[in-house]
Amino acid sequence: MSAPESPADLEEFRAEVAAWCRAHVPAGWRSDQTGVPEADFVAFQKDWFQQLRGAGWAVPHWPAEWGGGMSVPRQVVLYQELAAHDAPRLVLAFVSIHHAASTLLVAGTDDQRARHLPAILDGEIWCQGFSEPEAGSDLASLRTTARRDGDRYVVNGQKLWASGARHADWCLLLARSDTDAPKRKGISYFLMDMRSPGVDVRPIRNALGDAHFCEVFLDDVEIPEANLVGPENAGWQVAQATLSAERGMTMLELAERLAAGFRWLVAECDRPGESGIRALDDPIVGDGLARFETELTGLRSVCRDLVERADAGEVGPADASIVKLYYSELLQRMTGFAAEVAGLDAHTKRAKPLSSGWESGAWVLDFIGSWEWTIPGGSSEIQRTIIGERGLGLPREPVLAEPGSGAS
Amino acid sequence: MSDLAEFHDELRSVARDLLAPASPLVTGGEPGRVDLSQLAKAGWLGLDVPAAYGGSGATFAEVAVVLEEIGRSAAATPMLGAVLAVGALGSVEPSTARDQLLTAVAEGEVRATVAVAAGDEGLGARPGCAIERDGGSVRLSGRVRFVPDAPEAERVLVVADDPSSGPVLVEATPGVHVEVRPLPVVDATRSLGEVVATGAAVEPTRIWPLAAGLGPLADRAALAIAADAVGVAGAALDATVAYAAERRQFGRPIGSFQAVKHACADVTVGLTISRRLVADAVAAVAGGSPDVGVAVSMAKAHAVETAVAATGSALQLHGGIGYTWEHGLHVFVKRAALDRSLFGSPAAHRARLARRYGATAS
Repeated sequence: MSAPESPADLEEFRAEVAAWCRAHVPAGWRSDQTGVPEADFVAFQKDWFQQLRGAGWAVPHWPAEWGGGMSVPRQVVLYQELAAHDAPRLVLAFVSIHHAASTLLVAGTDDQRARHLPAILDGEIWCQGFSEPEAGSDLASLRTTARRDGDRYVVNGQKLWASGARHADWCLLLARSDTDAPKRKGISYFLMDMRSPGVDVRPIRNALGDAHFCEVFLDDVEIPEANLVGPENAGWQVAQATLSAERGMTMLELAERLAAGFRWLVAECDRPGESGIRALDDPIVGDGLARFETELTGLRSVCRDLVERADAGEVGPADASIVKLYYSELLQRMTGFAAEVAGLDAHTKRAKPLSSGWESGAWVLDFIGSWEWTIPGGSSEIQRTIIGERGLGLPREPVLAEPGSGAS
Repeated sequence: MSDLAEFHDELRSVARDLLAPASPLVTGGEPGRVDLSQLAKAGWLGLDVPAAYGGSGATFAEVAVVLEEIGRSAAATPMLGAVLAVGALGSVEPSTARDQLLTAVAEGEVRATVAVAAGDEGLGARPGCAIERDGGSVRLSGRVRFVPDAPEAERVLVVADDPSSGPVLVEATPGVHVEVRPLPVVDATRSLGEVVATGAAVEPTRIWPLAAGLGPLADRAALAIAADAVGVAGAALDATVAYAAERRQFGRPIGSFQAVKHACADVTVGLTISRRLVADAVAAVAGGSPDVGVAVSMAKAHAVETAVAATGSALQLHGGIGYTWEHGLHVFVKRAALDRSLFGSPAAHRARLARRYGATAS
């Protein structure tokens, strides 16, 4: 961690980022990236990632030795300026720079880090193979198997909701390596090469009509034991540790994006409609906006606080869940409000720019897309249970043994 | 942990011990009183008063710690009146009369409060009282309702409009310059009164211009209530979590049911956000930021809604026992509801925020 920075240092950095954004954010990228073929989106994302990398800002949250090391106040400034200048988001690399990196940093071997962290900077794309058709909220009941065979594992099963899997080079994979153990004690965590024989990726069209979610079928896929993360059968524990480690970092950026989305919403409410009346003239709209601004301010504060306490090793067991739950439900309420205020015209925007944030201004689509935050990554209901049990220490729900489930 | 954080933890711990017996959860539903002499002895009245005037020379950040703990215990104390008086006297130019009164308030020798509009009209409006200059004499008239700790006050600092200069602070003695009528409210832990001035002559050396206007006084009052509300909400949540872990129905603790657990989680999330908003606003006020109004309005609007939600949820999850007088939870619900209305409703604070929106923002 670098020394505390003065407000003047931060303002100088802000000016530097702002100037860089003015020179580098591609003009008109929103319209250019609306309705484009998938290949154009991927090329655009990879190019933007390298531009940010060139500036030293692709992975500010990583440790300094791997190319990051930026202080939290500076990261906040960086994300504020990128959002204020409407820079494209790092959508394709999201899992790579957050989940994959956090897993490698927290639980990976030196060799694994040296192999993958520089590769991620060079554009290696990752996806996450956690959920399965029968293992959603009850993730620990996953059935994909990893059978040990000498110095390798042979994996069979089916993964679901692997975002970006079509473009992924590598996959963070959870698979059952001991089918006799209690369900949380028989899972191992693997790094899987997506080009391995036996990996079959099929896109799933989602509620927005996009196809970034995928099914991944695994048929006798071989994974060398060098690609095991953490001890065999300790994969559940590795996943728990790495999921909460990255959550604050991702939220720092998303909260600043949401704040930028709020400013567009205010601008939209300030524009006279066909009857010449502004939505802002309605005190109910003003009240709603003020409520969102207040909640956003609280979200940004709580994100900064979480990241700073993470640096100091003072994060509580449910703190990341509080932030994830609050962000996702705030996003949903705000985009829902925006869709209502924007009225019928909002319904004519039937495509949103790829590479934009979750609050793109295509409010109806943004509203529908907000369920991508309240369902995955531990649904809102799962987060509330974590907050109740790990945060408040409330008693666990009695576990009912299912026949053949190996319930613990 | 920083020295300041350690100091706050210690202050909080001392306050919690001192106030614990006053909690209605302990007293059996009756208001627990902590009187002025106890507040003075604890050193809380002059926390953010310079040492030269009998105070500790700390900041509003430390005052806020005590206010939150008072909210947590829902204790009946004259703290709010003193906090307002210290803020008002601290915002006017020093003079012999002012310095004496500030010292007396900080040391707990004089029980004081401030008569400033406590409802929605207090946000940026003109004061409810005015002075009239007539040759050498100055007369005070007007009326302010819901003045905290007014019925017991020995001095009321009346915020009044001076037609020649703008808002001023007028030192008034009840029974001499103003009449004070108690205004009993549902929440028995707060003492509120109506201050009426009917043209009595006031002492010209005890009229001080409020150079920065009413804004800082209204913000300090609103933030004091927000800090109280965080304490009220925290107490309600803690009581509920403890009860849900212990109370058994259907053969298991009710806290193991998702309906109960998730309700507690929702309060936790709301309170986490309120705490951050209040902490940020307190830091702005304590640091002397020029424009604290936005942060205060956000903190006030959010924290009081959290307190009403948290106490309401507590009442629901405690079931029948929580609805009894003896349990004491009712006191927290009433205090939260009063906090919501004191010094600007959430809607009024949000309306203040909303005035900044758009190209024609005011």
